[in-house]
Amino acid sequence: MLKKLFIIFAIGMTVMNTQAFSQKFFPLESKTFMLKNGLTVILVPMKSHSLLSYYTVVRTGSRDEYEPGHTGFAHFFEHMMFRGTKKYPGNVYDKLVTEMGANANAYTTDDLTCYHLSIASEDLEKTMELESDRFRNLFYQEREFQTESGAVYGEYRKSKTSPEFWLEEKLAGLAFAEHTYKHTTMGFEEDIAAMPKMYDYSRSFFSRYYRPENAVLLIVGDFRQDEAMRLVEKYYSPWQRGYVPPQIPKEPEQTREKSGTVKYPGKTLPILAISYKGASFDPNDKLIAAASLFCEMAFGENSDLYKKLYLQEQKVQEFGYDFGMNRDPGLWSIYSKIKKIDDLGYIRTEIDRTIKEFQTNPVSQTKLDNLKKRKKYEFLMNLDTPEKVAGKLTRIIAMTGGIAALDKHFSTIMNVNPQDIIEAAKKYFVPEKRTVLTLTGE
Amino acid sequence: MRNKRFVNFASNGTSSFLILYLFISILIIGCGKMEKPKDNLVLLPIEDDQTISFKLWFKVGSQNDPKGKEGIAALTADLIAEGSTQTNSYETILDKLYPIAAGYDAKVDKEMTVISGRTHKDNLNEYYTLLTDAILKPAFKQEDFDRIKSNYLNYIEKQLRYASDEELGKAALYGSIFEGTTYNHLTVGSVESIKSITIDDIKKFYKQYYTNKNLLIGISGGFEKTLPEKMEKDLSSLPDTIPQQIDKPKTAPISGYNFLLIEKPCDATAISFGFPINVMRGQDDFFALTLFNSWFGEHRNSSSHLYQVIRELRGMNYGDYSYIETFLHGGYYNVPDPNNARRQQIFEVWLRPVKNENRHFVLRAALRELKNVVDNGMKKEELELTKKFLNKYALNFATTNIKRLGYAIDSKFYGIDSQGDYIELFRRKINEVTLEQVNAAIKKHIQYKNIKFAVVTRDAEQYKKDLIANTPSPIIYATPKSDAVMAEDKLIESFPLDIKPDNIKIVQVEEMFQK
Repeated sequence: MLKKLFIIFAIGMTVMNTQAFSQKFFPLESKTFMLKNGLTVILVPMKSHSLLSYYTVVRTGSRDEYEPGHTGFAHFFEHMMFRGTKKYPGNVYDKLVTEMGANANAYTTDDLTCYHLSIASEDLEKTMELESDRFRNLFYQEREFQTESGAVYGEYRKSKTSPEFWLEEKLAGLAFAEHTYKHTTMGFEEDIAAMPKMYDYSRSFFSRYYRPENAVLLIVGDFRQDEAMRLVEKYYSPWQRGYVPPQIPKEPEQTREKSGTVKYPGKTLPILAISYKGASFDPNDKLIAAASLFCEMAFGENSDLYKKLYLQEQKVQEFGYDFGMNRDPGLWSIYSKIKKIDDLGYIRTEIDRTIKEFQTNPVSQTKLDNLKKRKKYEFLMNLDTPEKVAGKLTRIIAMTGGIAALDKHFSTIMNVNPQDIIEAAKKYFVPEKRTVLTLTGE
Repeated sequence: MRNKRFVNFASNGTSSFLILYLFISILIIGCGKMEKPKDNLVLLPIEDDQTISFKLWFKVGSQNDPKGKEGIAALTADLIAEGSTQTNSYETILDKLYPIAAGYDAKVDKEMTVISGRTHKDNLNEYYTLLTDAILKPAFKQEDFDRIKSNYLNYIEKQLRYASDEELGKAALYGSIFEGTTYNHLTVGSVESIKSITIDDIKKFYKQYYTNKNLLIGISGGFEKTLPEKMEKDLSSLPDTIPQQIDKPKTAPISGYNFLLIEKPCDATAISFGFPINVMRGQDDFFALTLFNSWFGEHRNSSSHLYQVIRELRGMNYGDYSYIETFLHGGYYNVPDPNNARRQQIFEVWLRPVKNENRHFVLRAALRELKNVVDNGMKKEELELTKKFLNKYALNFATTNIKRLGYAIDSKFYGIDSQGDYIELFRRKINEVTLEQVNAAIKKHIQYKNIKFAVVTRDAEQYKKDLIANTPSPIIYATPKSDAVMAEDKLIESFPLDIKPDNIKIVQVEEMFQK
């Protein structure tokens, strides 16, 4: 099916994307356009009981924190953005959002910061006025900035009660030598502690990254497209360009295996993390798509190894993988929460054996077809609310700046064959790209 | 568009379980043709939905666990949802569900067990067979039993005790308030009770409670109109018995402030406190109290007054909320999840972890706010703002069809005639409430003198001494605060709390949920 041609609706908007694709997996009609200031806008109308999801995706996450001593600022900004502007100070902003009954929140990851509201359709214009205002004119004083740093430290303390957080923090630090992925989204604890003194820096962070060229506005749900386009033009056109790209250090090629241990100050089952350096997201790259399918077939919840370790032998409490899709090469990791520490070596051997098997023997075509079928239904069944649709699109927006890559990504996945999976396993899942970390409790 | 209407013949809010069998829904599908009324169905047909959702409600929960076998209701349901059937091994079931990206799971709470699942229409036949097999022909195999038991033990011994202080505090509070009642224990039981459960116990429990007369079938989405009748017929091979129902729990009166301090080597202190309230969803005072609660402590929302006082102005922690209905997994969900309806609720306050040195101050701050609102009531402008907020915020409570189905089932539990759309009823009722009604409901149901507290902290002995002695607890900020905040802090730091030494119990974290 041909993707619908996008309409140039008003002066100041340029057509963003008119490419036709042979296959369309994303079943909803959408419009993408760009304002003159570089802001990309994506509109996805759908039936939704008078609700809509209003997402502003800033393509800055902890990845962009390249200056030493300033980690954690992307996340800190997620908090500061609720402090308001001169026109609508924090308490006024809060009152207006409260009056609208908006379900408003935000989150930060390595590659993005996302501000999202679920609102009644009738409040679209008010929301747009408030949101465009705070992205253009955020204003806070040093005292408010310092108070918020207390809440951020509180969030860090809350997270630190979990062994998984200790593992993630240590794993990132061990696996990356130079790249900013070496700190978590929370940032290094010493940097969080020093935040109250960084008021001036915070202004510079906002000024460099919170710019229209680095943001995407996504609206999904019950609304009239022409009306939304008119409002976007009215409220977002005054937002000034000025994005300064971060100077992210390049991670040197890893040439030998790294390993380490971490002690969690509490009781936990041991956790084994085996991570491989992956690749930057590329929707056209068949081997990256094949690597993601390899992870699912080798370590997913229907894999032979999962069934062996979890269901039959019951040696693990949890078993799974994380296939990070990132702007820069991230980690592709296999996690095992192991019941008895004595089984650690055995689990490790089983994972190595499985990788070798996939590097040598082609997977069954039936199993591969079943996985592709699952991918299709999994995607389709989770597009039933504006929030879920927006949630599905956010990451691809952060990585590519739009949603066109989604159909390409699915097309590439559907074209993977058993030989591609062998090639991907051989290319990426090799010892010299590996970092192994073991976490144990008291 | 949805095209449905319910007529519910329930005339009052009587909460007895038996009355639920008398409720009758009349269904009108698509063309408007009236179907035969059924007393055991909740149907929400939505023609253009490409998926079909199921919720099978068995009227059994952890309150039905026999003494010494606590956790058996949860274990039985999980064995049904995550175990083999007489037709297929669990591995085979996973193999069959995998390509259709479908599944089913069990939610067990004090009074309810709901097996839920969803499939794409394309795959209904395969899915339906697997789901009904799970209900009708569970195998209760040893290996499935061992796996799930081991998960439960790990959850209590590792996760709850050591990796989630907030959930630990909340679970301890419920245990304390409902001591000696059927609501007392964790849904997953205790370390010792889980170990004592055998497969024969499970089979007996299944036979007793998974009966045709104890079941309500809920279906929503794009299903054919013959499906409900087919499912009813297929599941009618369950036994016909009506299990004996038990009374709602009777909590012991609380006298003064009662503390359970859980000693644990932690850097931050998690605090939960509350007391029972005699208000259930659907009753008039419920909507008035909902407005008070939303203003005082709306879950995970900066509109919460407690949040404003403790987090926004003082940056002491990540958030502070209150509840008049059980809210499970609050750390994960932003809005409530249906199907944990209960006949006995509590008013609960959740203060997220604060630095240990601020544990006394934060407790005083929260109790002072509670006292203020109980003594003085809500102001007109606060109520008006909260009404506006909740009227639209409630749209977020049930955005999916399976959640709407969940709310429709809860309405059956509470005897609410919601015409199949509880959220609309909720919005209407909220708008009708007056300031006088809210303040009367606060006076009637909320108080600040008799409360139970559960606190997870380090050096509990010192905390005990400070609490008894009413030691002033000045707060030292890392960053400057406004004069208004500093002046109010002076009042908070010496806010008197009348706490008797005998009312503070200290337990080691290792002892929690052992028996």
